Amino acid sequence: MKESKKPKQYTRRDMLKMSVLTGVGVAVSTSSIGVLANMANGLGNSSEKASSNPVDDSIISFNGKNQAGIVTPQQTYAYVAAFDLLTDQKDKVIDLFKKWTVLSQSMTQGEVSKDNNNDWLPPKDTGEAKDLTPSKLTLTFGFGPSFFSKNGEDRFGLADKKPKHLKDIPAMPRDDLQEPFIGGDISVQVCADDQQVAFHAVRNLIKSAVGVAEVKWMQSGFISAPDEKTPRNLFGFKDGTANVSSKDSESHNRIIWANNSEPAWMQGGTYLAFRKIQMFLEVWDRSSLKDQEDTFGRKKDSGAPYGKVKEHDKVSLMQMPPTSHTALAKGTKQEIYRRAYSYTDGVDPKTGNINAGLMFISYQKNPDTQFIPMLKVLSQQDKLNEYTKHIGSAMFACARGIRKGEYIAQSLLE
Amino acid sequence: MFLSKKITYTALTLSLLTVPALGACSNSTASSNQNDTKQTASQEKESKQDTLKNNVKKMQTTLNKLQNGLEENDQKQIKKYGKELYNQWLSYENNIREKYPLLYTDTEKYILPLSTEIEKDSLDQKKVQELSVQLDRSFENLKNAKETATKTSEALKKAVNNYKSYVNDQTEQLVKTTTTFTDAVKAGDLEKAKASYAEARVYYERIEPIAESFGDLDPKIDAREGDVDTSEWGGFHRIEKAIWKDSSLEGMDQYATQLNKDVQDLQQRVKEVKLEPTQVVAGSMELLNEAAISKVTGEEERYSHIDLVDLASNVEGSLAVYHAVLPILNEKSPDLSEQLDKEFNQLTATLGKYQKDGTYLPYTELTKEQIRELSQQLNTLSESMAQTAEIFQ
Repeated sequence: MKESKKPKQYTRRDMLKMSVLTGVGVAVSTSSIGVLANMANGLGNSSEKASSNPVDDSIISFNGKNQAGIVTPQQTYAYVAAFDLLTDQKDKVIDLFKKWTVLSQSMTQGEVSKDNNNDWLPPKDTGEAKDLTPSKLTLTFGFGPSFFSKNGEDRFGLADKKPKHLKDIPAMPRDDLQEPFIGGDISVQVCADDQQVAFHAVRNLIKSAVGVAEVKWMQSGFISAPDEKTPRNLFGFKDGTANVSSKDSESHNRIIWANNSEPAWMQGGTYLAFRKIQMFLEVWDRSSLKDQEDTFGRKKDSGAPYGKVKEHDKVSLMQMPPTSHTALAKGTKQEIYRRAYSYTDGVDPKTGNINAGLMFISYQKNPDTQFIPMLKVLSQQDKLNEYTKHIGSAMFACARGIRKGEYIAQSLLE
Repeated sequence: MFLSKKITYTALTLSLLTVPALGACSNSTASSNQNDTKQTASQEKESKQDTLKNNVKKMQTTLNKLQNGLEENDQKQIKKYGKELYNQWLSYENNIREKYPLLYTDTEKYILPLSTEIEKDSLDQKKVQELSVQLDRSFENLKNAKETATKTSEALKKAVNNYKSYVNDQTEQLVKTTTTFTDAVKAGDLEKAKASYAEARVYYERIEPIAESFGDLDPKIDAREGDVDTSEWGGFHRIEKAIWKDSSLEGMDQYATQLNKDVQDLQQRVKEVKLEPTQVVAGSMELLNEAAISKVTGEEERYSHIDLVDLASNVEGSLAVYHAVLPILNEKSPDLSEQLDKEFNQLTATLGKYQKDGTYLPYTELTKEQIRELSQQLNTLSESMAQTAEIFQ
């Protein structure tokens, strides 16, 4: 549905032809790549230019004031991965982020690393994204509490730059957290409208980190809705109705972007809260519509809150079951910015039930007031808990946007 | 269990000593004359490379015409340009063979069958088509070949020779230790068989890719249960099962005799085999891949659980290749060799933690975290090792 509205999607090869004809886009973006490449010890200075047509709406710039992939309208597919660092040397970490910056720059532009002329070497790029459009690929990087200190040790001498609110999400009443989906030193959220493009990106990040950082966990997800409509989760309910518009920058400053009360590298950054929530689909599907709607406090079909007609009508707490999901969340009077994806992980061998759920992701400037109290109330009382279990948890501080010529989180690491 | 290890390290050191010396020698000769000949040499180099480029371009033009013939289904044209191409190759090949032996072999691989095919009355167009595509790729590589290839090819030859003597040495040890093992099996001495099994495995695992290159021998010697039909299953792992699972050597005589014969056969074939540099380097990757896929998962030695012995031997075999190519690598990519030194040391140190009185702990005694650490370090090493193919440029 979404696809049909878009103008023609160009393949990388089309782009190449066009940019040769116009000659414009190429010069502009190769120069910025060049600057970075020099900085990153020549890494990536041999990208094959493929698609840099100015009209290409499948490119979302990696650079900007804030990181992409946060208020970017949600792409269809996501991979979220957490890495643990294997080194105690800061310069190794810096090298890794330089490498990742060059890779992220080129992958979001739809470029493929060019190989040396030696057939005996493994190809630099894993290759599966060749001929595909950039597909609105975004990569969003964050740092977990263990990046700053592990076993009481200030690992990289960066303790004084640790963001104010960065800490592991405290244990919640019904938590059933299962390794490896707990924490991590570094996070990356990779999103794209093409799953193959998204996977290619996360795979090449993992590959280029070998020896310096190892992937601790990785979760894939998907979400789909017609343009401008709120997507539905696997329980069939609209998820993210309360989000402010992706264009409402004033609200973003209020809810999402950290301000000058944080270290400089975090100003314009935000906190990512991650929960992997298993959903008992079979049990849910056997529940009556009334039960389902009482659980959410909203109509399943329209998404309207109880007592109202339309999805975005103002919620009236008096008219909802007090332990319904919406009533409890609204009752905290806090706002967060949700960017959740559904996941499926095959079949549970013990029960024969489908292993599926929600990869909950929310962004907020102060998790201590906006997120943790809300999670606590929901964990204790939410009617939804009958049908769900929290099995993964992590918090990451996402740096401000990456300026041209900079590498990811440069102002944190230097 | 690992008295034997010392012996091989000595052998390795011996063969390696000669290599760096040669490398250093060629270096100093090069630098003494460098100043006066620098300019002329570079001019000469340029013009030589230009000639090469032009020659290859000429052949590509002919190849193009041949491909047009293929498209138009015109046998006469295919034959005409096929012959012309072959004649061009004959007139340039001596020069190319001398300067770029690897690329020369690569091109010969396709141009020879092509020249045979076009002589046939009714030629196989599909085959010609496939060859012409490969040939075009070889020409591309040839066109971009770098002058250093000459010196490298000499050094590569030496590296292969050194590695070859390592392999011969290991195979000899394999035959010796396997005989000790099979003698014990035949004598029905369970304890002695148990003790000598691991020793023989060391030598096989160090040279596994070479043994695997003789397609029929590896399954006979090293098949695991289920890899081949039960009726055909023999070799090390068949006896391993008898020792550790059945605790009885009854009926193992025939397998012991056969195993002994097979490793002797292997030794004979290893003596005669001609190794290519690319094959040797690829073999070092195979060893690490083996370790990462079937050893670190505990699948190889499912009854004796001596997987760490195999894993360490795979790594040692890979290290032998690395040491053989080190002089070239040091020159071409010193950063990479420094990195590899570190990573080999790291992995060896980690493996060392699981040795007690010179014997590796059974795989089953390692924790999940310890296995994960080994796996991660193997991955790191493999990633760098894959880059050693830089020496072929």
